[in-house]
Formats: sequence, structure tokens, C-alpha cells
Amino acid sequence: MSLDNEKLLEIYRKMLLVRTIENTHSRLLKEGKIHVNAHLGTGQEAVSVGVTGPLRKDDILFGTHRGVGEYIGKGMSPKDIWLEYLGKKTGPCKGKGTQHLADRKNNIPGLAACLGSDFSMAVGTSLAAKMRHLDQVTLFFVGEGACNEGDANPSMCMAALWNLPLVFAVCTNQFCEMSYMREHFPTEDVAPRAAGYGIPYEIVDGQDIDTTYEAARRAVEHARSEKGPYMLEYKTFRMAPHHSGDTARYVRQEDLDEWGKRDPIDLCQQKIFDRKILSPEEDQKLRDAVRTEVSQALTEAFAAPDPKLEDLFEDVYAQREVG
Amino acid sequence: MARKITYLKALNEAMAEEMRRDSTVFVLGEDVRMGVFGQTTGLVGEFGEGRILNTPIAENAIAGVAIGAAMNGLRPILELMFCDFVMLAMDQICNNLAQWRYITGNQYGLPVTIRTTVGAGFRSGYGHSQCLESQLIQVPGLILAEPSTPYDAKGLLKSAIRSEDPVVFFEHKKLLLGRVEGDVPEEDYTIPFGEAVIRKKGKDATVLAIGIMVHEALNAAQELAHEGIDIEVIDLRTIVPLDKDTIFESLEKTGRLITVEESRMRGGVGAEIAALACGDYFSLLKAPVKRVAAPMVPIAGSAVLEDLYLPNKDTIVRAVKRTM
Repeated sequence: MSLDNEKLLEIYRKMLLVRTIENTHSRLLKEGKIHVNAHLGTGQEAVSVGVTGPLRKDDILFGTHRGVGEYIGKGMSPKDIWLEYLGKKTGPCKGKGTQHLADRKNNIPGLAACLGSDFSMAVGTSLAAKMRHLDQVTLFFVGEGACNEGDANPSMCMAALWNLPLVFAVCTNQFCEMSYMREHFPTEDVAPRAAGYGIPYEIVDGQDIDTTYEAARRAVEHARSEKGPYMLEYKTFRMAPHHSGDTARYVRQEDLDEWGKRDPIDLCQQKIFDRKILSPEEDQKLRDAVRTEVSQALTEAFAAPDPKLEDLFEDVYAQREVG
Repeated sequence: MARKITYLKALNEAMAEEMRRDSTVFVLGEDVRMGVFGQTTGLVGEFGEGRILNTPIAENAIAGVAIGAAMNGLRPILELMFCDFVMLAMDQICNNLAQWRYITGNQYGLPVTIRTTVGAGFRSGYGHSQCLESQLIQVPGLILAEPSTPYDAKGLLKSAIRSEDPVVFFEHKKLLLGRVEGDVPEEDYTIPFGEAVIRKKGKDATVLAIGIMVHEALNAAQELAHEGIDIEVIDLRTIVPLDKDTIFESLEKTGRLITVEESRMRGGVGAEIAALACGDYFSLLKAPVKRVAAPMVPIAGSAVLEDLYLPNKDTIVRAVKRTM
């Protein structure tokens, strides 16, 4: 099934936003204008924006530290992302989370610093949704590397045991931090682990937006209709290093060349042209508008106030100062 | 109207009453439907399996479940059977639960109560006997409570469940299993965090004790009284927040400080309080601060070695005398 034209254009725009924000982040780091490390998701945009596409605003998302894609996908504004990445007082986390983004407006409860710790938090949010009879799905989006963390298996176990409205989506980008996946996994795939708990799973192409979105739609629909958890695994390739300080010497050039031929934004652009949604000129205008939006948001964020001394001691506890 | 009930019953009542009062409160943990020591026994009959949730044996993950449930509008009471097992959940407790309010800029506070048991004396060996409260002192964002009486057990647990902040709640196995009884009102009440209580007034030395050690300190007070030494016994009730005012006022009077805990000496609660006293109240001190705590060794399975390991009335008496 293909996305309708309006939806495709919306998703395309979001993918452009994501890449522009990430490229800008990378440039700012080189210029010494930002401190927070960049874990870029270049080449994974069809996964991160596609998987979050079918979510409603009141659905819950747990993202990754390579998370601009899924956060934009869920509805976060570029300005909120910049405010937080710049550690500003007016950021959604008041500059205290920075790369550990949380945004209550969009039902994004945050990102655990230790990979995979939020596996079980997603079980908790979906358990609460079930106990409170909410019509709400939790999407737990994670890289394959974090699936070897201790909470992964009991989380799949509990999600199945309690029949929770929870979608596990693994973004298999071929790298676990600074090694190839094959050095961490005896298997090519992660998702079949779900079968051990009776959770249905699908393994899908992560480059084509129609495929990524449609798989997520099926998974979210499954979870929403009280059929229990669902596991997706998206096959993609991380075109960026693990983080901005990583020289990525371990990455083989032939892999970059091969996967580069199926860049998700290029593929989506071709669909846009094939379906005559935009002309090349209109496409250029859209790209210019996206660049302007990102740079305006950045300018505004730079102008926002930094936190002060009193902010250091605020929010440790709900009310009083506890010594 | 007060009646005498056990420490165990007080905890059970606190949970039952809070679950009746607030539909967002629920209990989860390993074997909580049965109740390993009895704290949660019977709750499933009134509240059903939907609110008394047996979990798989996966401490870090079930702590994460409690966190997630709190992110989404519930108030979980998580039981981690032994504090030795709490060590398996340190990532969730220390990195996430404690700090989430702060790192999300107050968007997500986590009203989670973690109940766990502490204490040796049951010949259970090294991994079911420890007192590890001090492992959590370093973490900002947590409340640490440890009641020594049925009255405090009920009042502090109710405060914990109603708290917007995460609380780790320590229950000593001797208080749970020893059928320790005390007066507990039938009416609803809570005990604020950070308010120590003076269990026995005295003028010669201040003995600050936690949990089960309050009882050992009271026994020591009786013995010392025969020798003309009149100690003040303070029950801290919460380790964080610490009631500095009560400590200060007592030290003003006595000038001598002895801390008593069943956890180990190095980096213990007593070390923190001794540092506070030496730093802020030095001019009040007439003698060096003494710490009574367990030695820096594992807890052996041997009954002989376990008894030698534990601080008790006698070690408190000796420590007090050394300050005189």
C-alpha cells in the first residue's frame, strides 16, 4: 500500500527537516557553537519518520539518542529540539536533558542514558494505558545494539504476558556503537527473538517510506486493537559515525557506496516526482523553506536565555529542598 | 482510637487504605499476591489481580515498569524482595527513577514507592541479609525512609505512596518477622519526611539510630542508665531528608554524638552524619564522633560469624562510653 499524496509530502518534508537539523548540528559542532554530541541518523530517516508516522499525538514514544528523526516524526518542533540541544532554560527539559529529550506535549517521556533501560519503561507506560483503559499505544523504538541489554528480554516477556498495547520497533542500522552488528549478534535478525514470547514480528526494508510507514501502521493497529505487542525490525544503514567524535575507520567504503544508492530521501523524492506531487522547482522551493525554518529556529534558540544558578537546584524534588 | 498491631499489619493497612483512597495506586513485584514476608498478603482478595501484579524475576526491568507506569499516571508500589536484589535495579533507581524529574525539567516526576527488606540475623548468608541503605545516599532525587515502629511504618508508607517524589522504603526483617507490635490509630494519618523523633530524652550523649538499631539503642540506654549515663536516642526515620535541626538541638545539649546503623561502616549513613557534625557543629562537640556499624566484611552463613558481624546493644554501650 502506498501513502496518499498529502501524507507522502508531509513525511518527505519531515525527512528533509531531520536531515537538515542533523547536518546543521554537525556543522555547529565543527564550529564549536554547540556542545552536545551528535549521534546522527543519516540514512535512517525513512525508518525514524516512517515508524512514528501512524502514531497519534496521545500515543507514547520512546526514541533513541539518534533521535531527531523520531522526535520530528512524533511532532516535536525544530525550535524545541534546538533549545534543548543548546541547553537553554526555555527548552522542554530546561536544558537539563539536552540529548536526552523529553517532551510532554508530544507524549515523549524521555530517553534513558544507558541503552535499553527504557525497554521496560515502555512496558510500564503501556501497562498503565491498559490499566487506565486508555486508547493509547506505546512505540518503543530502539537500535539493534541495545537489544542485547538486560531489560530487553523481560520486557518482551511482560509485554506478551500482559497483552500490552506496545510496539517494539528495532532499527537495525548494521552498527552497534562502533562495531558491525555481526560482531554482536550470531544472527542476521533481531526480531525473531520476539517469537520466543509469542509476539508476532515482521522484518522490513528500512529505505522505502511506503514500506516503513505501512509496517508501522499494521503494528500500531494490532496493538491498538488489544491484540497485544508487535515487533518490527527495519533493515537500514547508518551512513554517519556513531557520534561526532567517532572517526568511523571500521566502516567499509563499499557498504557506504552500496547503501548510498538507496538513500531514503532520494527514494522518496523520486516517488514525489513519479506521482507528480511536486515539480523539481517546487521541490527546490520546499527544500529552501525547510532550510529557512531550521535556521530561523536555530537563531531563535541561540537568543533564548541560558539557565542560571537557581536552576541548578530546581526540579530535584517536587517541592521543598531536601538535604 | 489506637490499637496494637504488628509492623507487618501496619504496612499492609497502609497499602490497602491508600489503594482504596486512590485508584491509581497499585502493587507490583515478585510473588506479591502471596506476600513473601506477608506485607502484601491478602491484598489480591480485595483489589484483584489487576492491581496486585506478580512480575517475572527481573528486578531492573520491573523497576523500569514501575517508572513507566508512573510516567503514565499511576502510582506504583514496587516490592523488591531483598535490598540485596535492589542492587540489580540500581540502573533504573539511581540513573533514571531518581533523576528523571530533573533531567526532564520537571515534565515527568515519578511517584514510585520501592519497598524492600533489610537486615541480617536469619542465617541467610551473604546475599539475603545486607543493609545497603547507604548505597543510595549519593543519589539526588530519592527519599530514603526506614521506620522502626508500626506507627511509623504505616505513617511513613502512606506518605511515601502519596509523595510526588520517588521513595525507597526499607523494612527490617526482624521488625517484619518478630511480630513487633505497637499502637497505631485507626484514623488516617501520615508522617512527614525529614522529621526525626526522640525516642528517649537524655543529656549526656546523642545516639542517632536507624530502623532496628533504634531498639538496640534503647536497650543500651537502659544499661547505661545503671551506670549513670543518660543518653538521648533519636530515631532518624528518614535518612534523606535528614532532620538536621533535631540533631543540632540534641548536640547543643549533649555535645557527644554516636551514630548507629546495621549497614557497613565505610561510607555509611554514620559517615555522612559524622562529616556533618564535624563540619557544621564542631564547636558543640566535646568528644570525637563515634560510629557503630557493621564491619567491612561480607555476611557469613555461619551463625557464629553472623552474630559477631552485627552491631548490637553491647557495641553501642561501648561506643557511648568511649565518648565519655
